[in-house]
Order: sequence, then C-alpha cells, then structure tokens
Amino acid sequence: MEFTREIYWNVGHGAATLVPMYLLVVVAVGVVVWAFIKKREVYRQGLPLERTDQLGSRIGSMLENAVFQKKVTQVKVPGLFHGIFFWGWFILLIGTTLIVIQADFTDLLFGYKFLVGNFYKVFSITLDIAGLASIIFLGALFIRRYFFRPEGLETKRDDAIMHGLMTIILLTGFVIEGSRMAVTELGTPVALWSPVGHLLAQSMAWLGEDALRLVHKLTWWFHLLLVMGFIALIPFTKFRHILTTSVNYIFADRGPKGKLRSLDLEDEDAETFGATSVKELTWKDIFDADACTLCKRCQDRCPAWTTDKPLSPMKVVNQIGEVAYNEPEANLIETLSRDVLWSCTTCRACQEICPASIEHVSKIVDVRRSLVLMEGEFPDEATMAAMEATEVNGNPLGLGYAARGDWAAELGVKTLAEDPEVDVLYFVGCYASFDKRNIAVAKSFIKLCEAAGVKVGILGKEEKCCGEPMRKMGNEYLYQSLAMENVELINGYGIKKIVTTCPHCYNTLEKDYRDFELEAEVESYTVFLERLLKSGSLKIKSEGLECTYHDSCYLGRHNDVYDAPRSLIEAAGGTIREMDKNRAEGFCCSAGGGRIMAEEKIGERINVKRVNMALETGAPTLVSNCPFCLTMFEDGVKGAEAEDKLRPRDIAELLAERL
Amino acid sequence: MNILVCIKQVPDMESKFKVAASGTWYDNQDLAWRMNEYDEYAVEQAVRLKEQVKDAELTVLCIGSDKVKETMKKALAMGCDRGAHIDDGESWAKEPFEIAGIIAEYAKDKNFDVIFTGMQSQDRGSGQVGVLVAEMLDLPCVSTIVDFAFDGGAIKAKRELEGGVKANVTVQTPALVTCQLGLNTPRYPTLPNIMKAKKKPMESIAVADVLKVDARMETAAMYFPEKKGGGLVLEGEAGDLADKLIAILKDKTSVLK
Repeated sequence: MEFTREIYWNVGHGAATLVPMYLLVVVAVGVVVWAFIKKREVYRQGLPLERTDQLGSRIGSMLENAVFQKKVTQVKVPGLFHGIFFWGWFILLIGTTLIVIQADFTDLLFGYKFLVGNFYKVFSITLDIAGLASIIFLGALFIRRYFFRPEGLETKRDDAIMHGLMTIILLTGFVIEGSRMAVTELGTPVALWSPVGHLLAQSMAWLGEDALRLVHKLTWWFHLLLVMGFIALIPFTKFRHILTTSVNYIFADRGPKGKLRSLDLEDEDAETFGATSVKELTWKDIFDADACTLCKRCQDRCPAWTTDKPLSPMKVVNQIGEVAYNEPEANLIETLSRDVLWSCTTCRACQEICPASIEHVSKIVDVRRSLVLMEGEFPDEATMAAMEATEVNGNPLGLGYAARGDWAAELGVKTLAEDPEVDVLYFVGCYASFDKRNIAVAKSFIKLCEAAGVKVGILGKEEKCCGEPMRKMGNEYLYQSLAMENVELINGYGIKKIVTTCPHCYNTLEKDYRDFELEAEVESYTVFLERLLKSGSLKIKSEGLECTYHDSCYLGRHNDVYDAPRSLIEAAGGTIREMDKNRAEGFCCSAGGGRIMAEEKIGERINVKRVNMALETGAPTLVSNCPFCLTMFEDGVKGAEAEDKLRPRDIAELLAERL
Repeated sequence: MNILVCIKQVPDMESKFKVAASGTWYDNQDLAWRMNEYDEYAVEQAVRLKEQVKDAELTVLCIGSDKVKETMKKALAMGCDRGAHIDDGESWAKEPFEIAGIIAEYAKDKNFDVIFTGMQSQDRGSGQVGVLVAEMLDLPCVSTIVDFAFDGGAIKAKRELEGGVKANVTVQTPALVTCQLGLNTPRYPTLPNIMKAKKKPMESIAVADVLKVDARMETAAMYFPEKKGGGLVLEGEAGDLADKLIAILKDKTSVLK
C-alpha cells in the first residue's frame, strides 16, 4: 500500500478547476498588490530615512521575529497562544504550498511526486496536528478577547472578521479532509497518519459516498473562496500585520538604542524644525501605524498611562496613521494634544516590549521639537525656567556655573584644567555637581576610585549639562550647543575614557555625542566599578544588607546593563528582593524625558507608585543607579509617607561605606 | 509706531559675587550673564505691542561692552527689529543719571511713541533710569506696571503700589513705562527667530557720541553686609519644639515677659 493521497480528489484537476481557481488567486493577490501600492503613497508622505543598510541582519531579525515569533512570545500569555496558532497556520501554508508545487508543477510538468511514502506520513500528521493546534489556540485567543477581555484591549469589527474567517477556514479544511477520508481512506493504514481527519471521517461516514462527495466538493470551493477572501482582506483589516509587521522587523531601528536623530540646525533652507504634520515625520513613523496590532503591551507598561495620564503610546502611533491616511494636513500637536506629548518620560518601556518593532519615543520627541523650536512652548513655566537656567549657567537647577566643581574641593580632586593627566574623566553631571543629595553619590564614587588607585579628573566649572533632559523635551537647539561645547572641551583634553554616575549622561555621551565626534570611550560607573572589583583593584567588605533594586530606564532598557549593578550590590553583601517590575520591565521613576524639569500635575505621582512597589518587597533600602531616580525616590518616600520604612540609596554610596 | 525698549545685561544672581579690587563694584570673574529680569518683561511687552499694532518698528538698546550683544540677540530673537548698541566698556561705573542721559540723547530725535524699560536692574537696583529718561525727554512716565493695554494712542496701565494696592493709569503716547514682575511671561524664542535675529541690523554707537551729561553721584564703596546671627532651625517632636521655642522667646526676647 502506498502512503499518499490523490490531490484534487473529487474536484478534478482539469481546466474547470484550475482556471477559476487561479483566476481567484490572481484577483486576490492583485488586490493586495494594488492596495499596497496605494499605501506606499501614504508612507511616502513622510521624510526619507535609510532603513535598508545591514540587510543581512535585518532579514535575520525578520525571520527570528516573524517566523520564530521571538518578540511576540516574550509575553507568555497571550504571546504563546499567538505563537502556536501562527506556527500551526504557517505549517498549513507550507503544506498547501507543497501540494501546489507537486500537483500543478512537478507532477503536472515532469510527472514527479514527492508527497509519498514516509515523507507523506510526516507531511500528513504534521499538517493534521498543525490544523488542530491552530484551531485550539485561535479559540483560546477568541475566548480571551471576547470572554475574559483584558482592560484596554480594543476590539473592533476587524477582530470579529479575523476570528470568524480564520475559524471557518480551519474548520472547513477539516471537513474537506474528513469527507475525503471517509470515502477513500477509512479502514486503510493511511488514515492513521491523519488522526484528526480520521476522527472526522468516522463521524461523517454515515452520510454515504454521494453525500460525502457533494459535501466535499462544495466545502472545497467554499474553503478556497474564504482563503482568497482572507488574502484579499490583508490590506484592509488588521490582517495587514502579517505583511507589515514582518516587514517592520526589517525596517526596525537597529540602534544604538535610544539615540535620537540629530536635526540639521545649520540648514539655511529649513523653514520648520520638528514635526507638526506627518510630512515632517519619517515614512517609517507612518508605516509603524500599519505594523501596530493594537496588542496594547506598550500601553500596559507606560508609566504615564498607568498613572492616569492621557498618553498611550499605542494611541499615539495609531493617531499618526489615521492622520496620514485621512487628513494629512492635520496639525499633529492638536491631534495628539499637548498633555499627551508632554507626559512621556522616554522610558522606552513601550519600545522594548513592542512585538512589532515600532518606535514610539522618537515620534513624541519629534513633535515636542516642533512645540519647542517652532512655538517656544514647554509643559510648564518650571521647564522653561530650567531651559533658561541651562542657557545661562549650564545646568537646569539654575545654580552658578562657577560652583560646579565645589563639591570636589575637599576631596582634592583636580580639574583637567589643573591636571589633564588622568586615568579617567568623571563626567559628573548637573545633579551630582549641585544637588546636595547627589553630591554624596559623587563623593562616594571618588572615594571608590581612590581606593582602587584610579586617578580621576573632573571638568569642574568647564563642564556643562550633557543636554539630555533638554533634548528629550524637544529643545534640540540648546542640546546641540551644549553638546558641541562639551565635546570640543573633552576632545581638546585628549581624554581616552569617561565614566559617568548618571545614566542619562552616559547614554548621551556614549551615543548621541558621537554625532559631534566625541572620541573617548564612555562607561557607566556600575560597569566600571564591577571590573575594578573583579580585577581585585577594588576591595569591598561584604556587610549584610536587605534591599530592593530599581533598574533605571537609561541604564536598563536603553543600555541593557542589568547584571553589573546587581553583582555590585551582591559584592557589598546585599540581598536583593526584586520588585515585580524589574529589568526590562522596570517601572520609570517619572524623571526621564526631561520630566525632571517639569511638575507632574496629571494623575497619580509616578515616583510614589514606584516607591509603593519597592515597599511591597518589605526591603528597607531602595537602591538605584541614577541621580534622577534618587531624587524622585527621596521625594517619593515622602509622598508615600514611608520615610521611616524605606531609604533610597545609590550603589556608589553602599560600596563606599564598605571600603 | 516707533518703539524703544532699553535692556541691561546683568550677572545671574546665582553667581558667586566678589567685590572687585577697586572696591566700588563687583568682580566680573566667574559670572554668568543674562538679561535683567525686569527688562525681559519690557521686551515681551514691547513685542506684544508691536504685534498688536502691526505697523511698528521696535528698537532694542543696550549699553555695555561687546559682550552685551549676546543679550541683545535674545531680545532680537524675541521679536525686536533692530539693535542699538552703545559701546561702553565702562558702563558698569556709570551712575543712573549718566545712563539715562545716554539713552535720552540717543532717543531725543527719533520720535519714539512708547519707551519700555525695566523698573530697575537686578545688580544696581537704583530704579531711576526709566524715570530719568522720561524726565529728560519730557515724556509722561508710568512706573512699575503690571498690566499694559494700548488702544487708540492711549496706554492703559496698572501700577503696583505698596501693600498689594494697584492703580489704574491712562496716559497718551508718547510715553515711557517701567515694567515690574507680573506684567507678563516672557516668551521663549523660537529657532527660526533665533536664526533671523543673527541677521537683524545692529548699530553700534560710541558712548562718547551720546554721553552729554556729567555724573552726579559717586559710589564710595561696595561691600557684603556684615554677618549677623543666622537663622535657627528647630527640629524634633511638636511638643519639644514648642518648649524650645518658648525657652528661646523667654531668653532672647521680651515678648513673654
């Protein structure tokens, strides 16, 4: 007995079948091509952006995420539901393609069949199980969406169409198989290689051959029509994500993570700066809206949204799409609204979790640029005052620039102006220079370097704010002037290595300053100190310490530094009781995106919410690695009335106490 | 309409001040410079007036060394049309009557309809310049305004008086007003306006050409106030705090005797 089956059984393999079938295929594919040519026009309203370099790794990333569903399955439920459903569907697609290849090409033209014997057995049982898995997990997704709908999961007509259509396609597929097997395979060993079909065949056998053949033929054509409908609907429903999201993995931002596009401010012909309309965003910003599946993972993790602010990264992405398609002239500031735009802390939780590789943050910053550079607007007077203070004194706190290095005087730290021969330049940053609480961190870091025999220099009054908060707030002009001055100064001293205790400075110097040709290597103090510890030059006493640890957004998500700080805490004898939201899922302190300069007036206080998360661990100490976080937590413990229960500390302080 | 706004570049008040070797003014070292706060209100109001009447030319005047041009550029970026820089490296040493004399000499034949100044400078704080300019040009002057409206050749201003009392004043142009905190929120210059400001005309005038008056005052000495007893912060529980406070009041004052 040969293990195979007759393709086109009962429907016939003549022109009467093939001609209408392939006509339908041509129509369906034609509709998709036509619709995407139209869509391309919409995308091309945006500015050009190079996203086809490193094509090999881009395609690799597409395979990893589209075929292997890497990002989607990072959230186990419903990610695995989607993953298993998709893999089932994808296997069915491969199986159907093999059938087409054999029946309409290799067999038709050369009389060659490969769906036979052992290969057929594997083929048959794989497709059978794939179909079953698809149905089960599509059902699971259906039940989740319609019976246990998580808050915020937008459910529209598209979702009903998609669930209905795919369920019927899968079911009719099995009916076709069952009716065919009832006539041709019942009682043969071949049937055992299609267990689901076999079960259906057994339950349908009572219909008798004539009825089965009729059912088979009608269902076959119905199934074909539905599948062609499914293909044709791709551009017009959320089915589009099959193509757009897959392609978005190719077009994804390949880093450096969190580095913003520098505006050309010298361009004499530029009339506008930043984005007020979709034409001033890039094509990718419009394409992103088509790649979004409304899974709301970004919204769930957004510190603004979860504290009752109006910003939902998902809505921002989709509103930009709606504008691009329906009213391209619309003013994005009005469409998105100022409260939404100013609420973002650029914490990157949205982008890090997005299973479609959408870039939320740069869109918001682009529109903020327009608000600041074209309208002279800020979220509040405090922010404007901080900008002006930075223009005058080089720091947003508004303190006299000449006092910037005063904190270091008693430690005998020299400025590069006094002695440029140093092992590392400590780029102190504004808060560690001027804010009393954070000066303690700077002093701790210096003590650690001294203990490890590292010669450190600072820039003192020559240092200026790195410009990060201003840049994220949209003030590209102020950022660039600060950046150029700092880079010229540092390059002028011929510095080889810079260490920062502020992850915002770190991210800016390490990534953004490269546009201005900063030469030195830049390192976060956590990584720097961990290396000194491992090499034995730094010795820390291990003294018991119960604590919880907060991953700052700019050391964590922006730079994937999760382990160095933890190993430092452990070396200091610390036991970390992790908060639920840790590492890449860490919850912002509220101060990123320039929000450190602004007042938080809408909704719940983000820092108090994070402090409450820390309190839930029961640990008496909240360790962090960022001056903004430390500042917000010192304030947050007061807001949460937990000053006697929780003490915010910086890693450098813990280590310096244990020298 | 022809509008003049007079501004001064002053050190940021957060700077570390030292008395200069001369002993009559502060040392310039380690200072950050900016526009006098009250002059920012004056510039903002002047720009708003220009935007309201549309057909107007707004001149910004500043006295000082080349360094003050940076501050003038901000005024130009905020919306002034042209700059008049009175080049004087020694402006810091001039007393208010001389400064007013310079401005009046510059303005006398230019038919300004409205002149805006700050109500005082943050560094010298004499509060005299605007008022003296008005007197020298024989113009009506409204000082310390916190509200300004222009309608049909008349200025309706609100003045701030002591103790929170306000006064409504109406004056026909030409007139001079000195601006007080609360008048407005100065705008943040937009980038296109910052770019345009770089190309706006900036006239430089030697101070000798416009200084026609003699000084009437002389600064004898400048010094930091003597350190007297500092503040005292009491800490602890409310009950203890009250006891401590009563003890101090009994001990150091006569209110409880």
